[in-house]
Amino acid sequence: MNPLAAFGRFELFRLLRSWRFLAVTVGFPVIFYMLFLSDHSARRIIDGTVPWREYLMVSMCSFGALVAALNAGGTRLASERATGWARQLRVTPLPPWSYVGTKVAVSMVVVLPVVLLVEIVGTTFGGVPLSAAQWFELTGLLWVTAVPFAVLGVFVGFLVHAETAYPVVTVLMFVLGYFGGLFSPVSSMPAALQTTARLLPSFHHASLGIDLLAGHGLDATHWLVLLGYAVVLALVILLKYRREESLGLA
Amino acid sequence: MVSPSTLRAIEQPGEVGPAPEQPLGSCPPSEPAFRFDRVVHRYGTTVAVDHLSLEVGRGEMVALLGPNGAGKSTSIAMLLGLLDPDAGSIEVMGTTPRRAMAMGVVGAMLQQASGNGLPHGERVGTVLEMVRRLYRRPAPMDLLIRRAGLEGLLGRQTQRLSGGQAQRVRFAVAIAGSPELLFLDEPTAAMDIDARRAFWKVIAELGREGLTIVFATHHMEEAEHADRVVVINHGKVVADGPGATLKAAVAIRRLRFTTKCADQATFDGLAGVTDVELRGGVVVLNSLDADATVCDLVRSGIEFKDLEVTGARLEEAFLALIREADASGTAGTGQAS
Repeated sequence: MNPLAAFGRFELFRLLRSWRFLAVTVGFPVIFYMLFLSDHSARRIIDGTVPWREYLMVSMCSFGALVAALNAGGTRLASERATGWARQLRVTPLPPWSYVGTKVAVSMVVVLPVVLLVEIVGTTFGGVPLSAAQWFELTGLLWVTAVPFAVLGVFVGFLVHAETAYPVVTVLMFVLGYFGGLFSPVSSMPAALQTTARLLPSFHHASLGIDLLAGHGLDATHWLVLLGYAVVLALVILLKYRREESLGLA
Repeated sequence: MVSPSTLRAIEQPGEVGPAPEQPLGSCPPSEPAFRFDRVVHRYGTTVAVDHLSLEVGRGEMVALLGPNGAGKSTSIAMLLGLLDPDAGSIEVMGTTPRRAMAMGVVGAMLQQASGNGLPHGERVGTVLEMVRRLYRRPAPMDLLIRRAGLEGLLGRQTQRLSGGQAQRVRFAVAIAGSPELLFLDEPTAAMDIDARRAFWKVIAELGREGLTIVFATHHMEEAEHADRVVVINHGKVVADGPGATLKAAVAIRRLRFTTKCADQATFDGLAGVTDVELRGGVVVLNSLDADATVCDLVRSGIEFKDLEVTGARLEEAFLALIREADASGTAGTGQAS
């Protein structure tokens, strides 16, 4: 087996063997979805175009992607850097970038089933009828655009101390979820918070999905903001990595 | 005196491992295992490694000594391709350090600042299986288990290992790819005495198979396992000599007493004395035979008091012996600055 494939497989199974990861990643989006579904505002139409049920399903897909990516990347990475495992891997035939690269890739791999799971909940309990084409498009869109979340997870693991990584991930999950409008429509927020929402990747991620379901075109702004987040976070990781490398610490 | 090399030769070859593997075609055996040529590394304005040159041949077992901050860690990081030199060149197994690492011919056991260097929540066996798959010529699992002493530990979660056990697992990780050059940084720091003994036996076994082994240590007794000892200080190789010299250095004692006599030549003439230091009324002697020196001192009639006999500071003693050997032109590779 190719070294990268062997390492990737190890990383993926390492993640899937963790009960805490599975409980959080499956539990949070599904439980939140169920809680919000029981909300009496079920018949509302958001921004005059999108039914609340659809808005909610897409938001929960985004939340699920966020939870999965942050938990896959953040805490484990920080602890592996602290215990010296990350450094030990540097003295194997694995290419230097493969550790961080594999973390991002594995995060992306676990995001996909979470998005699918929320869509299943949406079509079975959430009263969102999806055509086969919509399933395909929505899943693909929300998956590909989850890259900034995966990079954010690795960013946290790379920059935050091992002991604080877990709380930071938890706070980020809820801050990005709540202020990004994933728990309640942005249009019902006070003006200041609406402005804040537009700065967050979670808002733009969900907005793309909503654009898709509403049938109007995908707003380029959303793509640009998400791309910007991915690039800036990746650059910071790269700079930190380079600095550690120049000190022989990476 | 029994040198480590003769010790290795008379040791019984207990269990016989697989036949020594052929070196990869890309590096003919005539090339050194690695070579540092006037290597310089700076951190800002601080020069950590200062025109360091060192060549280690295939199959050598070398102990690397030196105080913290001497440039030892920086040199090691460059040897392993974790750091690039600012000047000079490094060749490992006939190629660059990074390429040698990518080829899988170098194995390394690093020192851990915190934590045990293993991924938590995994079983030892799972980690080793994965690491073996990173290499072109993985060592057989049962050989790894025996050499690292991991019997009964494969099912254990890595975070439940004791410090010594974790160190043995990291040793297994280092040799998982059947390396031709093995680097070990303070390999026995967390091991108990039995584990240490078993560990050095395995190292000797690997040495007999032709593996080049370099280890850094603070324990002088451990350096005796090497057939060559290299001392690094101020970013340079300050001493480089056979392990046997170190063995003699280990025997050196330091005698300290107060006296009114200040005649250097008198003390130099005492039996066993290798060097003399006069500090006001205090005399410090290094001696190869403390008993004989004290007898001689009493016989000389010099009045002294507050006599203390302690182990010598080994690196100094080692340097002194190498200088002596150089002066008399006996020991081959010694160099001192």
